[in-house]
Amino acid sequence: MTEPLLTVRDLKVEFQTGLETVHAVNGASLTVEAGEIVAVLGESGSGKSVTAAAIMRILPIPPARIAGGEIIFQGRNILTLSPSEWKQMLARDVALVLQDALSALNPVYPVGWQIAEVFRVHGERSRKVANAKAVELLKRVGIPDPERRAKEYPHQFSGGMRQRVMIAMAVALRPRLLIADEPTTALDVTVQADIMDMITQISWEEGMSVLLVTHDLGVALRYAQRVCVMYAGRVVEAGPVREVLSRPAHPYTLALLQSAPQARAEGERLNPISGSPPDLAHLPPGCPFHPRCRYAADVCRASRPAETNILPGRRVECHRAMEVLDVVAA
Amino acid sequence: MLLQPEMPILQVRNLTKHYLPQSGFSFSGGKSVIKAVDGVDFDLYPGETLGLVGESGCGKSTVARTILRLEEPTAGEVLYRGQDIFSMNRTELKTLRRNVQVVFQNPYAALNPRMSVEDILSEPWVIHPDVLPREQWADRVRELLVQVGLRPEHAERYPHQFSGGQLQRIGIARALALSPEVLICDEPVSALDLSVQAQVINLLEEIQAETNIAYLFIAHDLSVVRHISNRVAVMYLGRMAEIGPASEVFNEPAHPYSAALLSAEPTLKPDEIGRERIPLKGEIPSPANPPSGCRFRTRCWKAQAVCAEQVPQLEPRPPGSNRLAACHFPMDAPDAEIPHHLQST
Repeated sequence: MTEPLLTVRDLKVEFQTGLETVHAVNGASLTVEAGEIVAVLGESGSGKSVTAAAIMRILPIPPARIAGGEIIFQGRNILTLSPSEWKQMLARDVALVLQDALSALNPVYPVGWQIAEVFRVHGERSRKVANAKAVELLKRVGIPDPERRAKEYPHQFSGGMRQRVMIAMAVALRPRLLIADEPTTALDVTVQADIMDMITQISWEEGMSVLLVTHDLGVALRYAQRVCVMYAGRVVEAGPVREVLSRPAHPYTLALLQSAPQARAEGERLNPISGSPPDLAHLPPGCPFHPRCRYAADVCRASRPAETNILPGRRVECHRAMEVLDVVAA
Repeated sequence: MLLQPEMPILQVRNLTKHYLPQSGFSFSGGKSVIKAVDGVDFDLYPGETLGLVGESGCGKSTVARTILRLEEPTAGEVLYRGQDIFSMNRTELKTLRRNVQVVFQNPYAALNPRMSVEDILSEPWVIHPDVLPREQWADRVRELLVQVGLRPEHAERYPHQFSGGQLQRIGIARALALSPEVLICDEPVSALDLSVQAQVINLLEEIQAETNIAYLFIAHDLSVVRHISNRVAVMYLGRMAEIGPASEVFNEPAHPYSAALLSAEPTLKPDEIGRERIPLKGEIPSPANPPSGCRFRTRCWKAQAVCAEQVPQLEPRPPGSNRLAACHFPMDAPDAEIPHHLQST
């Protein structure tokens, strides 16, 4: 078996806030194979964005601190690379798209200039060639009249068009991996669908992997092949997205589905998760989900469940995963 | 549940809100009028939830703000129990404000951080002293907190001591303090996580079952609107595209825009997963310069010459139904049913 493109193993990220240590990522593991779209699904505070930021090495250190684990990308541990080595890989091998495109673009330069800069920084000597490539990219991401639009400034673009510009910049040097952190969360559904279709198409054409960070179950299901469900800084369940969301093995995944209006039949009541999200500075002993779990038993309060391969390609951290699977099947 | 043919509690008639350009320097240079809402009609009945959906800039929040009289309309009227709210005197307006309350999207901004929950929830009675005698305030505050799923002792706390979902419950409790007949919910759960969102939606449903309150529920999340609404109104670029019973609008949309919007929503329902998306051409036009005739025609795959010439009116679709759509070529009409005067075009 070949090495995955990206392997995150037992990643731990802590934030020092005053007297407390917040365990934002607490032993998360995941893999991304070449060419696949993997969704990282979770609610606020699950650690999904911090994991993405750790992979991009953009964590604010301090207060953040990598407390353990490794991130292997193309056979090298990203966490031990020197800043100059990492800079070489950025954009060329791995690129990032964030939710807020307006703050990621420079307001005083035309967007075409900003895209062309990616080529100039990475060795393109000719301004003319760089600009032509930028126009070509704008066309590729579906911006009409790209020659004219390349000369315009970010404020002249709508939210959806700005996000397209960000994606054009990110894929300019044909990276192997695109990390997209809630790329369409601020956008309307029709625009979201256009942009996700475009990311999917580029991924397919270029064999580019995508790590899609999202809170939206529907987006994960429609666009990803595999899903990693995060809770309290750990990947509690992972597997093919259709299997996981149609027959979850972790009670948290099941509970998420039961609280989603998207998944409920007409007239069916929502079934919210009881209790409140975990306090990451004071995690409970045992399974972090046990205080809110309908299936919690004594063993769940006593020991943290080990990672289990419950079915081919499916990984879950739950003492009672088999029972949860059967509940859904019944 | 739907209690038609009761008298509607709110009647919105030809509601129009145009924003005039600000004087002074403008990047766009022109003196164009922004037609945020341009002739919207609908009714709201006691005890029902009317969902109002549409994409950014369609005017749904402007409709809400105008009904609350936070904006003066350019034209049209809003009747509360038959009386036009824009010609009300001070006393009448005070009664209106008591009976039509609002919950906003961002509870952090909606609650004063320097007031305790007790003060926040009692403030409505300070403004409307005839509602509740002062000696009952403390008890009623605690009742309200329990009603929205919080604990009585939370009354002594301050907003920063609560999570987003809890703050939204406090916002709802404050809106309920005057036992209103109508609650305008402007994106009330958009800022909340899925599990918390479900708690707040269930809470709104329970309160409605108990009090027969009417909700105008504005949201961009179609699945939430579908879940909570009895009826749904779809807006596009300041106009009503379609309005009718939620199950009809969602299962068999009549307006091409509704159909495209629904097809873009990522679903989790097994029977809808493979559903084809209807892609739309181009971007939403500027409300400063909307297309002639049907506003949706520039992006519509069914558009014909007539769509640029005639503004489609809201008509029952299919004929005789209580679902209305404003379209010359609705989804349900086979070609033979297209009105004769349009067939030649």
